[in-house]
Amino acid sequence: MTPHVFEAMGTVVSLTLPEGKGAADAVEAVIQCFADFDERFSLYRPDSELSLVARGELALTASSEELRSSYAASLRWRDETGGAFTPHRPDGTVDLNGTVKALAMQAAADELFRGGFLDWCLNVGGDVLSAGYQPDGAAWRVGVVDPADRSALLFAISLTGSRHAVATSGSAERGDHIWSASALDRTYVQATVVADDIETADVLATAIIAGGPSTLATIVGRWSVDVLTVARDGAMTATPGLSAALATG
Amino acid sequence: MRTRATLSGIFASVAILIVGWQAGSAAITAVHSSSGTAGSNSAATARATSPAPTPSVSAAPAAPTAPAAPAAPAAPGGTFTGNSVSTQYGSVQVQVVVANGKITDVKALHLTDDGGRSVQISNSAAPILRSEVLSSQSARVSTVGGATYTSDAYLSSLQSALDQAGI
Repeated sequence: MTPHVFEAMGTVVSLTLPEGKGAADAVEAVIQCFADFDERFSLYRPDSELSLVARGELALTASSEELRSSYAASLRWRDETGGAFTPHRPDGTVDLNGTVKALAMQAAADELFRGGFLDWCLNVGGDVLSAGYQPDGAAWRVGVVDPADRSALLFAISLTGSRHAVATSGSAERGDHIWSASALDRTYVQATVVADDIETADVLATAIIAGGPSTLATIVGRWSVDVLTVARDGAMTATPGLSAALATG
Repeated sequence: MRTRATLSGIFASVAILIVGWQAGSAAITAVHSSSGTAGSNSAATARATSPAPTPSVSAAPAAPTAPAAPAAPAAPGGTFTGNSVSTQYGSVQVQVVVANGKITDVKALHLTDDGGRSVQISNSAAPILRSEVLSSQSARVSTVGGATYTSDAYLSSLQSALDQAGI
């Protein structure tokens, strides 16, 4: 179970899956999957399709089906989170980073399932999507870093039942673009969301950081997710589901 | 507009309050507004059917069953149906009856809990002590999550150390 590590989307991907027949091909397919998303959606690459749209060289209406559906998905998330999550930078540029990484992770998961791999753990820049179990039959266990000390873990939870995804958003991280349709709330320095799928976890973690306690209250009432927040002064809150997960180990 | 605010407050609060109902009657038994706006805060049994909603009321997220009338400064009234709001416990839709600017009845129209039982919506986050949290990370972890790091930051991350160690 040596992790396969490669760079993608400006961060590092760690994919853990059992060795054996087809593993190398599966890893290649996953790498290609991330490369494809990067090519289309990266704003760091001047030649990406989204960069062409951002510069006004390609009309959104003339862009690919993939780009438009991704944009549409982001707009739905914006509406559902009351604007706490938005695909628009303050200057109006369409930035799909908020969902693209999650979509790429889900596409990678589909590749792995297609290859017959049912037990694996995928970590992309600190967001985690898993399937099945570890080789010893134990659940995959995710440690989350302490925002006050990056060399230490704050807590850890096992991914059991329908929970497969853990996303963490923070206000202090470089490269973590967080903005909002309304004024940014500064209550939380870190929010971790545990969900059944990575897109929900990722988007809602970002929305909680951007929208603060009122957004958190809306989210936990509306989506089936477990959340742990860390406030600026270090105080923490957790939903009942997450507290229970901490207690059971 | 005051009524609109009241209605919005009611609709919003229904989503986060304890909602009880019976499968057959589908009636909310206890609803109160947390917004503290004007109007009756408790569901009464009276069924008022004033037919004169004002234009400002019809602008609310509602479909008045009574015809709009230009009748003037009278307090708004009528029956209003809110949008269906999906929650993790199912979708919720309520109807309110307003008479003379006061809510006289609140009815649940659409509650899709499978069992038809009362549901307590209690997924709200509560304070948790650092000691309760820290105790969870004693067991070995498979991977390390955190706010997105860059390729450079990865090199000094716990995940990097874990990757080098292998699992």
